[in-house]
Amino acid sequence: MNNQETEIQLIQITKKFGNFTAVQNVNLEIHHGEFFSLLGPSGCGKTTTLRMIAGLEEPTEGQICLAGEDVTYKPAYLRNVNTVFQDYALFPHMTVEENIYFPLKMKKVKYSSARAMIEEALSLVNMTGFGKRYPQQLSGGQRQRIALARSLVNRPRALLLDEPLGALDFKLRIAMQKVLKDIQKNVDITFIYVTHDQTEAITMSDRICVMKDGVIHQIGTPDEIYNSPESTFVASFIGDMNFLEGQVVQKGENSVTIDVDGKPIISTRFEGTFSKGDSVVACIRPEKICLDKMCDSEFQNKFENHFQASIHRIVFRGTDYEITLKFGQSEIRLIESASEFNNKKIGDQLFIGFQKDDVITYLKECKKVCDYETNLDN
Amino acid sequence: MKPTLTTKLNVKARGRSSFVSKIWIGVPITTWLFLLIIIPICIMLVTSFYTKEGSVVIKKISLANYLEFFINPIYLPIFFRTLILALLVSLTSILLGYPLAYLVSRKVKCFRNQLYMLVIVPLWVSYLVRIVAWRTILGRVGVLNTILLSLKIIDEPLSIFIYSPFAVYVALIYIALPYVFISIFNSLEKIPKNLLDAAADLGANSFHTFIHVILPLSMPGVISGFTLAFVIALGDYIIPQQLGGLNGMMFGNLIVTQFGYAYNWPLGAALGFIMFTVAVVILLVSQKFGSSEGFLE
Repeated sequence: MNNQETEIQLIQITKKFGNFTAVQNVNLEIHHGEFFSLLGPSGCGKTTTLRMIAGLEEPTEGQICLAGEDVTYKPAYLRNVNTVFQDYALFPHMTVEENIYFPLKMKKVKYSSARAMIEEALSLVNMTGFGKRYPQQLSGGQRQRIALARSLVNRPRALLLDEPLGALDFKLRIAMQKVLKDIQKNVDITFIYVTHDQTEAITMSDRICVMKDGVIHQIGTPDEIYNSPESTFVASFIGDMNFLEGQVVQKGENSVTIDVDGKPIISTRFEGTFSKGDSVVACIRPEKICLDKMCDSEFQNKFENHFQASIHRIVFRGTDYEITLKFGQSEIRLIESASEFNNKKIGDQLFIGFQKDDVITYLKECKKVCDYETNLDN
Repeated sequence: MKPTLTTKLNVKARGRSSFVSKIWIGVPITTWLFLLIIIPICIMLVTSFYTKEGSVVIKKISLANYLEFFINPIYLPIFFRTLILALLVSLTSILLGYPLAYLVSRKVKCFRNQLYMLVIVPLWVSYLVRIVAWRTILGRVGVLNTILLSLKIIDEPLSIFIYSPFAVYVALIYIALPYVFISIFNSLEKIPKNLLDAAADLGANSFHTFIHVILPLSMPGVISGFTLAFVIALGDYIIPQQLGGLNGMMFGNLIVTQFGYAYNWPLGAALGFIMFTVAVVILLVSQKFGSSEGFLE
């Protein structure tokens, strides 16, 4: 983003519902015109955060600024941000046109002068000609687009989207992702997008904030989040990841050697400081791992980490195969394209290799680190 | 599981039997409707065309009873007074019931169910007992007079409270209010909370949210409440009898008189049928409104 003007700022925001802390000490800075995603499993506080920005919830502690102005205790109807709700929340007793006119009517815009704006909003979401229908007469995707048009018609400073595509089927979701992204480019409005779908967040966002249990785990570009996750939770939540548990056997200046079931694994990237004997988790993306029948010198030179393992499981996934190999008690998964698969069978002894730069090591005791296991189902 | 002979037969039979079974399902309700509602109404309709001479009912079709309704100066004024009173009762019930339902449904956080029950509880007490209770409230030495006397607002007990159209009006509202409350409350409860969030989010303050979202979406409840109150007030004859006095007489009383005291069943049937027609028209009109407003069904 070229424009670094701060649009929305959350300072030390905490929200408690009775004894339950939904959001804890959240600090966020969202730039103008940015597509910003709040990503996390259900119950992580992302929707609560969004509702606080919208003004539908009041934070227990902290401050919210919108374009430099403190809006923490300003009611929702006075804030210049609009929300697209998960289930659209279209008014069933109004036609599409009346729904879109509603925010304008609240701003005392006359219907005669609002007509052009309503038409423009309808054409923006490609729904021209649907103005006279009632929401019940539209499909899910169409309602979604009307909700979008209604939220955009009075040009808010920011558009808040609360899992807007959650109720749509897969194909429609992909299409709507493109629509959303195009609209965002056209209108130059800050989008804050809440989702639990990591693919959606990665493909659409300029920046992503990963949350869990009301705490921010990492904020960064999709590239940073994917390639340099700062905790095992982020590593497990975004994309596919192998987690190999072991002990540090050697600690160098820029690298660390870990013993995983008797195999030495060298890693050059690590979060936190640790010394010899510490229990750690080494993470490696399945697509970074290579598989070969032979362990020749070329293979050894290319991959600092290489050892033998046996195929334990093969899953066909259409365009590729997911192969699980076992060494000792540890399992490692990798992806091989259908053309390279070459009739491998369960029980085959093969060599796996990966580079030390692709291995990220985390301390196992660290609080942030331990939750990856419980979150694999997401 | 392999299809056994019986399941095969069932599959075969299903196509043919669906029409027949649909008819059978309708039989009990149709019988019930015919025996208890349609046939009595038809009998009443036929009776209303007979005439009575002396103590003999002449079974000859004539419009004499309906003419009597229009010609005899007793009937029309009381008929219109009853209509207006029923209208006033239902309007007042809506005006009182809506804020009450709105408060219990939207504003009250704790003891909601208890409050709801408090409004409903009078329905558990016998209708007659509740009306007689109003005599002890509105009577000359009743609760209302005693309070006003002890507060030195009046010097001697007022007799305008009881045996007047006012007493009938108050008691009818009291009877109709729980029904109006229930139907409005239910329609308010049905409004999804996120519509209110959306309204606030799109710039509507609580007044505009009420006017543009809550009120239109609760209209089905208002209309069905209105219909209930109107029908209750229109047909009641116990309240006028107990609390109305001479001036508080309503059309229901006239009908009862024809059946119970004058033994002129044909005339009573004709008067009853006139009121029945009015009630049906009101119901149909409100159904029309109700269905076009029933967005949340």
